[in-house]
Amino acid sequence: MAQSVPAIPTDPDHLVEDIATDAEERVSVATQWQLMWWRFKQHRLGVFSGVVIVIFYLVVVFADLLAYVDPAQSEALRSLIAPQPIHWFDNGQFRPHVYALAGKRDPLTFKRVYEPDPERKIPITLFARGFEYKLLGMVPTDVHLIGLAGAPPEEGLYLLGTDLQGRDMWSRLMLGTRTSLTIGLLGVAISLFLGVLLGGLSGLYGGWVDTLIQRIIEITRSIPTIPLWMGLAAAVPNSWNVTQIYFSITIIISLIGWTELGRVVRGRFLSLREEDFVLAAELAGASQWRIIFRHMVPSFLSHIIAATTLALPAMIISETALSFLGLGLRPPAVSWGVLLQDAQNVQSLAISPWLLAAAIPVIIIILAFNFLGDGLRDAADPYGV
Amino acid sequence: MLAYFTRRLLLALVTTIAISALSFVIIQLPPGDYIDQYIAQLSASGSAISREEAEALREQYGLNQPIWVQYGLWMGKIMRGDFGISLEWQRPVSEVIGERLWLTIVVSLAAIMFTWMVALPIGIYSAVRQYSPGDYLFTLIGFVGIAIPNFMLGLILMYIGFRFFNSNVGGLFSADFETAPWSAAKVWDMVKHLPLPVFVLGLGGMAQLIRIMRANLLDELRKPYVVTARAKGLTETQAILKYPVRAALNPFASTVGYLLPYTVSGSIIVSLVLGLPTVGPVLLKSLVAQDMFLAGSIILLLGVLTVIGTLISDLLLMWIEPRIRFQAH
Amino acid sequence: MARKTRSSRLSRREFLKLSTFGGLGLIAAACTAPQTPAPATVAPKTEAKPAATTAPAAPVPTSAPAAKAPAAQSPGSNLVGKLEGPQVIRDASKMPATFKEAPMLADKVKAGQLPAVKDRLPSEPMVVQPLSEVGKYGGTWRRGFTGPADAENVNRILSADKPLFWDFTGNEIRPSLARDWKVSDDGKTITLYLRKGAKWSDGKPFTADDWMFWYEDIYGDKEITPTPHPDMLVNGKPGVMKKVDDYTVVFEFPEANYLFEDLLAGSTFIGGGQSTRQSTGNAGGGYAPAHYLKQFHAKYAGKDKVDAQAKEAKFDSWVAYFKNRIDYGLNPDLPTMGPWKTAQARNTPTFVLERNPYFWAVDTEGNQLPYIDKLQLTLAENLENLNLKAIAGEYDWQERHTDMQKLPVFIENQQKGGYTVRLDPALNGSDSTLHVSQTYEADPEIAKWLRKKEFRQALSMGINRDQLNETFWLGTGKPGNGLPDPSMPFSPGAEWNDKYAKYDAAAANALLDKIGLDKKDGEGFRLRTDGKGKLTLELITVGAQFVPYTKHAEMIREQWRKIGIDAVVKELERSLAFQRSKNNENQIMFWANDGSEFIYLFPRHALPVDPAECHMGQAIADWYASGGKQGKEPQDADLKQALQLFSSAGGKKREERVKIAQDIWKIYAENLWSIGTVGRSPAFMGVRIVKNTMGNVPARQLNAQHGRTPNASHPETLYFKS
Repeated sequence: MAQSVPAIPTDPDHLVEDIATDAEERVSVATQWQLMWWRFKQHRLGVFSGVVIVIFYLVVVFADLLAYVDPAQSEALRSLIAPQPIHWFDNGQFRPHVYALAGKRDPLTFKRVYEPDPERKIPITLFARGFEYKLLGMVPTDVHLIGLAGAPPEEGLYLLGTDLQGRDMWSRLMLGTRTSLTIGLLGVAISLFLGVLLGGLSGLYGGWVDTLIQRIIEITRSIPTIPLWMGLAAAVPNSWNVTQIYFSITIIISLIGWTELGRVVRGRFLSLREEDFVLAAELAGASQWRIIFRHMVPSFLSHIIAATTLALPAMIISETALSFLGLGLRPPAVSWGVLLQDAQNVQSLAISPWLLAAAIPVIIIILAFNFLGDGLRDAADPYGV
Repeated sequence: MLAYFTRRLLLALVTTIAISALSFVIIQLPPGDYIDQYIAQLSASGSAISREEAEALREQYGLNQPIWVQYGLWMGKIMRGDFGISLEWQRPVSEVIGERLWLTIVVSLAAIMFTWMVALPIGIYSAVRQYSPGDYLFTLIGFVGIAIPNFMLGLILMYIGFRFFNSNVGGLFSADFETAPWSAAKVWDMVKHLPLPVFVLGLGGMAQLIRIMRANLLDELRKPYVVTARAKGLTETQAILKYPVRAALNPFASTVGYLLPYTVSGSIIVSLVLGLPTVGPVLLKSLVAQDMFLAGSIILLLGVLTVIGTLISDLLLMWIEPRIRFQAH
Repeated sequence: MARKTRSSRLSRREFLKLSTFGGLGLIAAACTAPQTPAPATVAPKTEAKPAATTAPAAPVPTSAPAAKAPAAQSPGSNLVGKLEGPQVIRDASKMPATFKEAPMLADKVKAGQLPAVKDRLPSEPMVVQPLSEVGKYGGTWRRGFTGPADAENVNRILSADKPLFWDFTGNEIRPSLARDWKVSDDGKTITLYLRKGAKWSDGKPFTADDWMFWYEDIYGDKEITPTPHPDMLVNGKPGVMKKVDDYTVVFEFPEANYLFEDLLAGSTFIGGGQSTRQSTGNAGGGYAPAHYLKQFHAKYAGKDKVDAQAKEAKFDSWVAYFKNRIDYGLNPDLPTMGPWKTAQARNTPTFVLERNPYFWAVDTEGNQLPYIDKLQLTLAENLENLNLKAIAGEYDWQERHTDMQKLPVFIENQQKGGYTVRLDPALNGSDSTLHVSQTYEADPEIAKWLRKKEFRQALSMGINRDQLNETFWLGTGKPGNGLPDPSMPFSPGAEWNDKYAKYDAAAANALLDKIGLDKKDGEGFRLRTDGKGKLTLELITVGAQFVPYTKHAEMIREQWRKIGIDAVVKELERSLAFQRSKNNENQIMFWANDGSEFIYLFPRHALPVDPAECHMGQAIADWYASGGKQGKEPQDADLKQALQLFSSAGGKKREERVKIAQDIWKIYAENLWSIGTVGRSPAFMGVRIVKNTMGNVPARQLNAQHGRTPNASHPETLYFKS
C-alpha cells in the first residue's frame, strides 16, 4: 500500500506499479510514527521548512551571542544608518572589514547622511568581545559571534543599519526573534491544551457539557478580536513589569486562539463517534480512554497538526497586530511586533526602508510553519497512506 | 427538526444577551470613564473643566451609576431600537455608524468574493496537481499573503501608489466625492478605490482558504467512491467536480457563517491604515475614548452578526450532515 | 561629537537672531517701557509700520528654498523665516470709506436675500492690514482633522471672535470683537467697548445684552456652570459683569485685577469667545446669542418645554441639549461672530464652514473679510493618514497634526505636492518635560528624593538634551530646562535657560553622592537608603501625542544609567495617566509645557496651581486654588515663595507682573519641579505645510497657546492667488 513516491491519485495504475515487495514488508511491520516519518521525508519543502524553523529556534537560544551590541544602546549620531556593506578582501587578502562612517544631518533635506571613509577600515572578527550577558541563561560571558576588532566605541558594525535612536537593527532583530518565537510557542501550547481538552470534552460527552462549552466558544468568537484584546490588555495592571506583561499578552492571545482548535476537535469527535471502528472498539470492551487515545485521536491527529501549525503563525501575527495597536509588548521589550511598529510610518518607507527588515523573518517563519504543517499533515493522514 | 431549530434559535438569543453583557464589560474594563477621557483631551488642547463640572457631566450622562444600572438602561434603550448617543460625536450612535456600516459590509463582501474567486480554483488545482510546481507556486503566493502583516502591506502599497502612480492616499473616495451625495459617479469612484483595500484584506484569508480546500479535496479524492467513479468511466473533470469538490466544500459550511463578521473584524486594522471610512477606525477611537454606547453598539452589532453566522453555519451543517441532526437530540 | 555640538550651537545662535529680528524690538519695549492699556478713546497707538508695508511681499521661500541656501547652514534655519503677520489698524483716519464684498454675497444682495454690505458691517469695523497685499475673494481652504474631539483645529482659526487679541508678536494686545477697552487706574474696573452695529451671522444685532445673557444665564446658571471660574475671581473674590449701555460692558472687581485684560485677550474661559467654548465645557466665552439660545434655556422657555425638546433630540437633560445647541461646531443654526460659520457639523465626516456674511472686519481697502469662501475639513481616520494627505498636497494650509519626524518627507515632496514647508518654532521651553510630583507618597523613599532640589538638579544634568534634540526634533529644537524663549518679556535672560540643563554626568554623580545616594549595586545603580535594593524611578508617558514621549523617556532612562539612576518607563493611556496625577500617584510624568511660557494665562505646566490639571502635585494645586481649605500645603519654602509671587501678580500692573514672572522663572530654574528637555521648537503645530497658491502667508508665524496658532496670522486675510 505505501508507494514511496507521493501519490498522484488521479492515476491508479501508478499505484500498482510502484509497490515493491521488500518495501511492502518493511511497511507492514513499521509503526504509525515510522510511516509518518517516511512519508514526511518525501515532502521536501516540509523538511526544508523544518530545518529553517530549527535555525530560527537556534537564534532564539543564542540570540545574545549573535547580537553584537546592546540592543537598547542608543546614540543620536548613529541615527538611521543604512545597512553597511561588508568588504571581504583587503589588498587581495581575505580580511572582512567595514569602513568607518562619518555622519551629519543634511541641513536642506533634513536627512542624516553618512560618508564611508575608505581610509579607515575596521576589521570584523569572530568571537569578539561586547556587552555582558549569560549564555543559555547560565554562563556569564561577553563573547559574541561577530564583532569589530579593536574599534573605538563610537565606531560600530551596522549589518542591518540602525533605527531612529541609533540602535543596531541586527542586534535588535536577534533579541526580537527570541521574544516573538517564544510567545508563539507558548501561546500555541496553551491554546492546544485548552482546545483539545475543552473540544474533546464537548465532543465526547455532549449534552449540557457540550452546550456549555459550545456557548463559551461561540461567545468568545462572536466578540470581535480587537475590542477583546483591547479590553483585556487594558485590564492588565500597569504596575506589571515587562516579563509579566509578556506572559499576560501570551495568555490573552491564546485565550482567544483556542476556540478554533476547540471547534475542530469537537467536530471530529462528533463525526468519529458514529464511525464503525469506534463502535467496534466499544463492543470489544475497550475503555473510554483507550478508545479516545488509541482510536480516535490518531484518526484526527492530522487535523490537529494542521490546525496547530496554522495557529502558530496566527499567534505571531497576533503579536505584531497587538503591537501595531499599541497594546502588545512595549519598549524596552523588543519583539518583531515592536520593531514593525517602529517601521509602520511613511518616513520609514521613504527614508529608512531597512527598518522594514523585521518583516522578513516574520514572513519566512510563517511560511516555514505552514509548509512544515503541510508536510506533517500529509504524513499523518491515515487515508493518504 | 423543528425542535432542534427552535432550540438553536433560543441558544442564539442567550448568546446574544451574553455578548451584550460582555461587550459592556469590555468597554468598562479600562480604568476611568468618558469624562476622564474628556478632561484629558481638554488638557491636551489647553483647557480644562473643574471637578464639580466633571461631576455634573457624569450625572448628565449617567456615568455615576453602578455598572449594572447603566447596562440595564442601555439594554432598555436598545430594545426600543435606540442605540443611544455617542458621547464623543454628540450624535445618535445609529447615525455615526450608519453609512460606515454599509461601507464596511461592501468592502468586506468584496474582499470575501475576491478571496473565494482566487482561492477555490487554486485550492482545487493544488489538490488535483498535488506537489506539482503550480501547487508549490500558488501555495507560496497564498502563504506570502498570510505572512505579511496586513497593516504593513497596506501602508507599503499605499505609499508605492502615491510615490510612483500618483494615486490617492487612502480612503474610499477621491476628494471631490467625499462630500458629494450618493450618485452613480460616486459609486464608480468608490469602485475605483476598492482594489487596494480588497486586495490587502482578501490576501490574508486566501492562504487559509487554499489550504482548507486543498486538504479537504485531497481527503475526498482518496475515498473509494472516487475510484469507483473513475472505474465507471466518468471523465476526470466529472469525477473531481461532481462529488469530491462538493463534498470538500461541506466543511466550509462550518466557517461560512463566520466569514463576514471575521472579515469585518479583520478590516479594523486595515481600515485604520488605509484610512477607510468604515466602522473599524470609529470602533478603535471609541474604545480609546471610552465612548461606551458607540463602542458597545459596534461590538454588539459585530457579535450579533457572528451569532447569526454561526446559526446559519449550524443549520447548513445539519442539512448537509444528517448525523449531526440526530445526535443533537 | 565635536561636529555635532558646533552645529547645534550655531543653530541656536541662528534661531536667536531670527527670533529677535522679528519680535525682540517690540518685546524689549514691552518689557521695559510701561505699557499702559489704550485709553478709551481710540489712540493712534499703531506702530504705524505694519510688517507688510515695510517688507513688501515677504520673502517667502517658494519652490525650492533649499537649492539657494548656503550649504553650511544649520538644519532648519532655511525653513524658519522672519516673524511677521497682519496688523489691526487702530488709526481712525485710515478707516476705508467704502466697502466691497465677496461675489457670492454680492449675488445674494442683488437677489434681495441679504442687506447691502455697508448695512451688514458695524459703523467701526475692524480694519486689518493684510500681510503682503489685498487679496482676492474665493476658494476653499482644505484641511485635515481627526474627528469631533479635534474642535481646537477650527476653534483657533475662528479666534477673531475673542473680545481682545494679541498681535503677531504675541506681546501686545489689540482690539478684536471689542473695538476698545479700558482698565481703570485702580485696576478694579475693566470696560469693553463693543462695535456699534455689529451683527450676528443671522443679521440680528450684537449688543451688551448678549454679554449679560451669558453672564446671568450661562455663567450664572448653576446647572450649566456649577462653580465660579477662577477667571472671574480675584484673590478668590468674585467680580461682576454689568451693562452700561447697548455697546458698553464693564467688569468690576473688589480688588485690583490688572491681569484681567490679558485674560480677555488670552485663550481663556472669559476671553475665549464663542470659538473656545468646547474647551471650556461649553460654558465659557463671555457672550452668547441671547435671541437664539433663549428658546433652549429653562429660564426663558420653561423647564418642561426644554426638557421635552431635549428628550425629542435624544439628549438626557435640557442642560445637555443646551450645551449642544451652544456649540457652533455641532449646531449649524447657532448665530456666531467668527469669520466663518458652520455649514456641516463637526461630528460628520466633513466639517464645512462658510463665510459669515456679517463678519465685522475689512481690509485696508474696505473689502469685507474673510477672503476665502469656505473651510473644508476632511476626517482623517488616523494621524499617519492625515500626514500622508499633507505630503500628497491635499491640504492648503495645515499646521496641526503634522509630524516633525516626517520633515524630510515633507521637504522631499514639496515640488510634487505643490506646497512649501515652513517651521514656526514655539516660545515654550520644553515640548517634553519631566513633571516631578511633589505630592507623591506611595513610596516614602522615592517621595523623599523627588522633593529634594539637588536630586532633581542631578536628574536634569544627567539628561543629554543634544541627543534628544538631534534624534527626535531633528536638531530643530533648543535644549534647556523649560524656561520660556528669551525673546519673551517673562524670560529672566537666556543664561537661565541652560541652568542645570547642560549634560554633565560627573557633576550629577557628585551631587547624588553628596546628598547620600552614594551606595551602588553590582550594576552601578544607586541603592535606596532604606535598604530595599536599588532606587528605581517610574517614568509615566502617554502615547500618540504630538511628540513621542515614550521614546524620549526610554532614551533618558538609558542616559541615566551613567549617573546610576534606574528607571522604568510606563506608557499609559492618557486619561489613566491624568487620573494618576490627580491621585498623586505618578512619580514623574512626561508632558509638554506649552502655554506656560505665558505663565499668568496658563500656569499649570510651570507651577502647581491649577487643580484642573497638575502633574507637579495635585494636592498643592488643590491647596492653592482653595485658598488653603483643601489639599496640602507645600513644605518646600522655594515653592511657597513662587506660589506667593504668582498669586500677588494679578493685582500688579504689567511691568511689575513681568518682573514677578522673571523672578518666578528664576526660582523655577533653580528648583526644577518640572525638568525641561528640548523645546522652543516647531514640534507642536509648527510644521506648516502651505500650498504655493496661497497668499499673505507669513514666513514665520507666532506659535503659542495665547496666540491661538495660527490665528495671529489672521486666517481671514489668507487668500488664493490662483
